Amino acid sequence: MKHLSKLMGASLLLIALSIPQSAIYAAPSLKVLGWGAKSGPLKSFGVNSEAALRSAVAEINSAGGVRMGDGSMAPMEVIGYEDSACKKDEAIAILRKTASTTDAIVGMGTTCSGVCQAMFGVLQKKVEDTSDSGVQMPILADTCIRPGLAKISEWSFRNVPNEITMYDELFKWLRTAYPNVKTFTGGSETDQGHSFITYTAIIVQMAVKHGFEWVGPAVPALGPKVKQGMKELQAAAKSQHWLMGDTNYTVQARKIKKQNADMILVASHPFSACGFMKEMKRQRIKPKLLVGLTSSASQETLNGCMSAAEGIIIPTGFAPITPEAKKANNIVSKAGGFLDLHSSAAWENAYLVKRAVERAAIMGRPDTLQQDRRNFRNALASISSQKGLIGPLTRDGSTGEAEKPYVYVQVVNGKWKVIHDPNS
Amino acid sequence: MEDFLYEVVEITQTIWDGVLFGSTYALIGIGFTLIFGAMGKLNMAYAGAAIAGAYVGLAVSMFFDAPIILVFAVSALVSTLMGYIVYQTCFRFIPTHNHLAALMASVGGLFLIDEVIVLATRGSPMNFPALFEDAYFEIGPFGIRGDLIFVFFIGLVSTVVLLYVLFKTRLGMATRAVAQQDVAAQLCGINIHRTNSITFSIAGLLGGIAGAMTAAAVGVLSPVIILPLTIKGLIVTVIGGLGSIPGAIIAGLFVGGFENLFLYVRGIDERDMYVVALLFIFLVFRPNGLFSKTINRD
Amino acid sequence: MDFYLNLINTIGIHTMLGLSAYLLLQTGQLSLAQAGFFAVGSYTAAILTVIFQWNIIPAVLAAMFLAGFLAFLVGFPALRVKGLTLVVATIAFSEFVRMFFYNLKWRVTRNGEEIGPDGTMGFAEIRYFSDNGWSNLEVTFFLWTFVIIVMGIVWWSDNSRSGAVLRAVGEDELAASSVGINLTVIKVSAMTAGGFIAGLSGGLYAHQVTSLDHHSFTVLLGTFAIAYPILGGLSNVFGTLVAVIFIQGLLVEGLRFLGDWRMILFGLLIVLAMNFKPLGLFDKHTIGIIKRVIRV
Repeated sequence: MKHLSKLMGASLLLIALSIPQSAIYAAPSLKVLGWGAKSGPLKSFGVNSEAALRSAVAEINSAGGVRMGDGSMAPMEVIGYEDSACKKDEAIAILRKTASTTDAIVGMGTTCSGVCQAMFGVLQKKVEDTSDSGVQMPILADTCIRPGLAKISEWSFRNVPNEITMYDELFKWLRTAYPNVKTFTGGSETDQGHSFITYTAIIVQMAVKHGFEWVGPAVPALGPKVKQGMKELQAAAKSQHWLMGDTNYTVQARKIKKQNADMILVASHPFSACGFMKEMKRQRIKPKLLVGLTSSASQETLNGCMSAAEGIIIPTGFAPITPEAKKANNIVSKAGGFLDLHSSAAWENAYLVKRAVERAAIMGRPDTLQQDRRNFRNALASISSQKGLIGPLTRDGSTGEAEKPYVYVQVVNGKWKVIHDPNS
Repeated sequence: MEDFLYEVVEITQTIWDGVLFGSTYALIGIGFTLIFGAMGKLNMAYAGAAIAGAYVGLAVSMFFDAPIILVFAVSALVSTLMGYIVYQTCFRFIPTHNHLAALMASVGGLFLIDEVIVLATRGSPMNFPALFEDAYFEIGPFGIRGDLIFVFFIGLVSTVVLLYVLFKTRLGMATRAVAQQDVAAQLCGINIHRTNSITFSIAGLLGGIAGAMTAAAVGVLSPVIILPLTIKGLIVTVIGGLGSIPGAIIAGLFVGGFENLFLYVRGIDERDMYVVALLFIFLVFRPNGLFSKTINRD
Repeated sequence: MDFYLNLINTIGIHTMLGLSAYLLLQTGQLSLAQAGFFAVGSYTAAILTVIFQWNIIPAVLAAMFLAGFLAFLVGFPALRVKGLTLVVATIAFSEFVRMFFYNLKWRVTRNGEEIGPDGTMGFAEIRYFSDNGWSNLEVTFFLWTFVIIVMGIVWWSDNSRSGAVLRAVGEDELAASSVGINLTVIKVSAMTAGGFIAGLSGGLYAHQVTSLDHHSFTVLLGTFAIAYPILGGLSNVFGTLVAVIFIQGLLVEGLRFLGDWRMILFGLLIVLAMNFKPLGLFDKHTIGIIKRVIRV
């Protein structure tokens, strides 16, 4: 019994130690807790978001902090940034831990879209539904970008760019900026939900909408009905796609080369996008235009294939083009992270939290926690606009989503360069 | 008629590319089969150590601007060392008849290697220098990747050297002796642990070459390829016949070619299901693989 | 409280997953197919509660039977091979199942919303517990009722003739068959029982996480399934439970404060545990000590 109880005791002690000790502090502060992928292949996302969040919070605090419900100013405190490791079980465990054992007002994260989907699914669906035993804790996400997630619950909110708008406007602009580009084809990683659905439901559809001609395998009329296009596209182009861990892209590249398209879409995260683009380079495939997936507008793509990615154009929610963006970029770099379309949202979220807190009159005491969280949620839902890092953004309280400004970036001489700002 | 000829060309090209790439699967399969043939155990950390070696080679090229040959050499040597370390930490001290514990320990080793890579690279994919990157020859309708021919060639050379070591040197004889009958081998004065650790090191060397070749062929390194390579390597080992080196070679090329063919004909969603089905067919009709154990035979 | 209940649920589900591999491991067969049966259980139960609006108990039981039946079918051809070949065959089976679900698309419109498995996008909004107002405590009791029943059955097996038969097959197949034990029947039975248990825990898992996709059912899950009984020891049901608490409670949750080093320590501790206790944390030696201490 001795050994068993020692083991159990040690386990319980360590579990207890892992609970943020914020309840011990008497000093009032506005507590938030973040989580993201801090281990595994998506580790850079978690690291960047954490650096951005903590840096923004430090800036807010050095400018005075946030105003609490009693009129006093208090610092914002990031009581922890946990590792959800792109795993549903872990994110849900962290959510439940944050909601039931800490006095964080809001949870900030997480990285992977599938994980966000699962996590939002355990939240109470409607605030007023007392028969729903879901978790009652506001979540403000910065990275998971798959369309339509925040509406899963009234407690879930996101600050992510709207890929539909971005690609719509991108192809509209490309039509005028590159008039000699008429035909297109492309490939995607099919086992990554975000890549594949954005490719079939958004990117290809928007290209067709703006008059580009699909020259891939024959597809019956690609109509404006998303679902019709999606299924046929999936069926027709299935040997043009790959998996996110694939090492051999020869078949796909050859197929695409034969189509001789002016524009090639590569809707994939950096590893397989780079693998494919390198094969393109080997087979001397030189389209007039190369368009990529939002998540690849990052340092990782440059790390993976700087020269093969030369010329790729991607719409993104962040580039250091305004004074605020440049300043934030410097601060976050010093903190050991990179700002990109995902982590910049984490920075903006800190300020969004500040506004919501000040609108909601948060008391910040342990006994007011549930009421504070509810008031915070209501305030967050009521915010309809915010000053983002590269421009103003609007928010929709009913869906919990944002409409953000965006720019188009391109890899030029091995670096990301802003080639067009639609808002200027 | 024209369509038919086109399809013939495409399918030939597809199989050709697949077979050349399959030489990397063959090397990994040989590694698994070597260890299995010698000790009857499965080293799950094998592909992880192979890729880790490639990362260290990459680091060398990044910090010292070394020529590519040196990168490959460093990758191979580091994986050799890692093979030795994996033996000492996951297999040496566990009783020989206990297969499960050794397997589990090597699984732990795999997790460890994976996370260390992620920690060192922050999870970002890394560009890997390639040899003969621009060597792409177009012969009629066919496109030949020069670098894949080089990969195949290196695989061939490695295998020949391995077979020479195994069958023409004392070390190889000791390895085969231990594989056949470890008690009798001990009685003849062969130190089992030394021999096994050398077997692991040799397997590690092959793995390092495979890792570097794979990385050079793709051009990018990322830990996401470790698990698929492990699974493919295991499938190749079984199809080839456990303990058989020629089996692993042929199976590697076979699986490489077929995999590409399935991709071309049925698309990406079904490709891997067909590879699995291929394995099942072998298991039903030839459960001992293409060749049964030759490492244990004289 | 909520967090602890969630952790207890996770431990329960993983214990069942571990026990599903336990029986077959006792016969000396290493099977990584548990992830496949777990996946079948998850999707089946979820489809039944979400698309067909079944009550959760029949849904989970149906999932259990389907997974068990599948294990029975797979058992016959699979168990003709042994050792590494079986490992690879079961890995391949598990991957096949994963790819099946990655391709599975079964969308149904209800109340203006689309629900159901959506191929690579996964299966979201499996909200049976929260839609029906189950409190977290109720979910935990529900889940653990099954866990305790499963543990009880496996405990009974260990302490009765069937356990002895399983272990006999595991120790020496030749000797076992020479006393009249039909090896194939025993191994297939163990695999089938494992399939039942894995399917049951999968069905419960689907409702606990509310969202499934193929990434959850990789070879890694199968590796965890065999890790628990191997780490815990194959002589005692509680060994698996202790191993699950060790891995999920201590390593995954308890070490969060270590940040980046948590996952590194994870691999390291497994390597160390296997070197120091190759027969598992709860091997005969440890059980001997415990028994002596209890007697004292």
